[in-house]
Amino acid sequence: MTTEKRKLKVLSKLWLLMLAIGMTLVAPMARGEYGDVVLNKQAEKEGMRPVIFPHWFHRLRFTCNVCHNENGFKMRAGSNDITMADIVDGKFCGMCHNNEIAWGLEYCHRCHSGLNGLAGGFYGSQAPGTGPQPMDALQKRRH
Amino acid sequence: MEIKNIITTIFLGVVLAPVALAQQVEVKAAYDKACAICHMTGNGGAPRLGDPAAWKEPVSGGLGRLYKSALEGTPKGMPAKGGVDGRSLTDNEVRAVVDFMVDKVRDVLKDAPETASSMATAKPLAPINFNFNRMLRQTAKRNLAPADDGIHDPANDGTALLQPPLQGMAELVRSNFGNNTDWVVSLESKKVTPRWERTNAMAEGIVMDLNIVRVPKGSMPNVVFPHKQHTEWLECSNCHPAIFIPQKGANQISMPLIMLGQKCGVCHGKVAFPVSQCAKCHSQKKELPPKVVGKL
Repeated sequence: MTTEKRKLKVLSKLWLLMLAIGMTLVAPMARGEYGDVVLNKQAEKEGMRPVIFPHWFHRLRFTCNVCHNENGFKMRAGSNDITMADIVDGKFCGMCHNNEIAWGLEYCHRCHSGLNGLAGGFYGSQAPGTGPQPMDALQKRRH
Repeated sequence: MEIKNIITTIFLGVVLAPVALAQQVEVKAAYDKACAICHMTGNGGAPRLGDPAAWKEPVSGGLGRLYKSALEGTPKGMPAKGGVDGRSLTDNEVRAVVDFMVDKVRDVLKDAPETASSMATAKPLAPINFNFNRMLRQTAKRNLAPADDGIHDPANDGTALLQPPLQGMAELVRSNFGNNTDWVVSLESKKVTPRWERTNAMAEGIVMDLNIVRVPKGSMPNVVFPHKQHTEWLECSNCHPAIFIPQKGANQISMPLIMLGQKCGVCHGKVAFPVSQCAKCHSQKKELPPKVVGKL
């Protein structure tokens, strides 16, 4: 009887341990809204939080044409090298974020609002729990 | 003689001191106008005024390099002449502002060489993220407020000021994919009225009503590509010729390519509706069984 009880105790502990491991695996990872883009080529390196660009927010107000044609954003994720210098100079985001069309550059933390360590790219579009991966990681996994 | 010298000195002092002071005031005004937005706060990694630690590296290349950076900008983020607000400054005024800023950290400059040093080296580009962007399952929770969405920093004061997606898209036609919003139907029913041009609220794009039918292999229904719904949002040059060569038969399109973010996958699976919505594209039933070409 006592040995059985002990067994049960050990088993229950084991279950708890497995549950704990399971929880950490299932724990929500970076999600974001569908169409969110994280820009972090420069930001974190320069001591700012990564930038999160919400497509949905901009789509409510402007057609794709405005940013991807007038404002010079290339269509492919990762193909735009955007610096604060360009923006201050009235290029890219600075075409609108100039206190005339949209709020100006003094509100740093509205854009630079991401968690440190986020990789650049699209969020909200992968299966749950998978974030963007660089191409080389993808290739490594295939071989 | 000596008295004359003293008088000259006093005269020069009285006349020139206000001139120097006025110049100093002008320089400070130029600094406030064009430079302070970054150099007072440290925005974008700019060295802060009077912070010796931050200026150590910039002044290490000497004044020549600093003048060049200020006048022409740097890849690190310094815009030429400080950007829009500094464009009206002359080169000498910009140099004077540099002197003014360096003067605040004079001690650091002491050991730095006076001549311009190495040329600015080109930075290698960061690798492009290339995601496998199929989206077969919905995440359990959608349209989370920025503070809860797992990518915004809840500790950041700006995060709380951002509009939550549910609030922004409340009036739109809901769906069970993407943003939980059907953007195309929302646009058709005028639930959303995005501007076609940046500054002109009345401008309208040229909508092209032309369907392109593609016949995929096997029993998969044909793909009907509607130019209409696409040109309501996009301009021709957004897709042609970089993504799709505007010529019949010139584009090899496959689902693996799309899922790797090429062709349709440049948008679909990222911002436009996800590729899990097969029937939205594969929408035309195949009427005839595939013909056998040639003799058996």
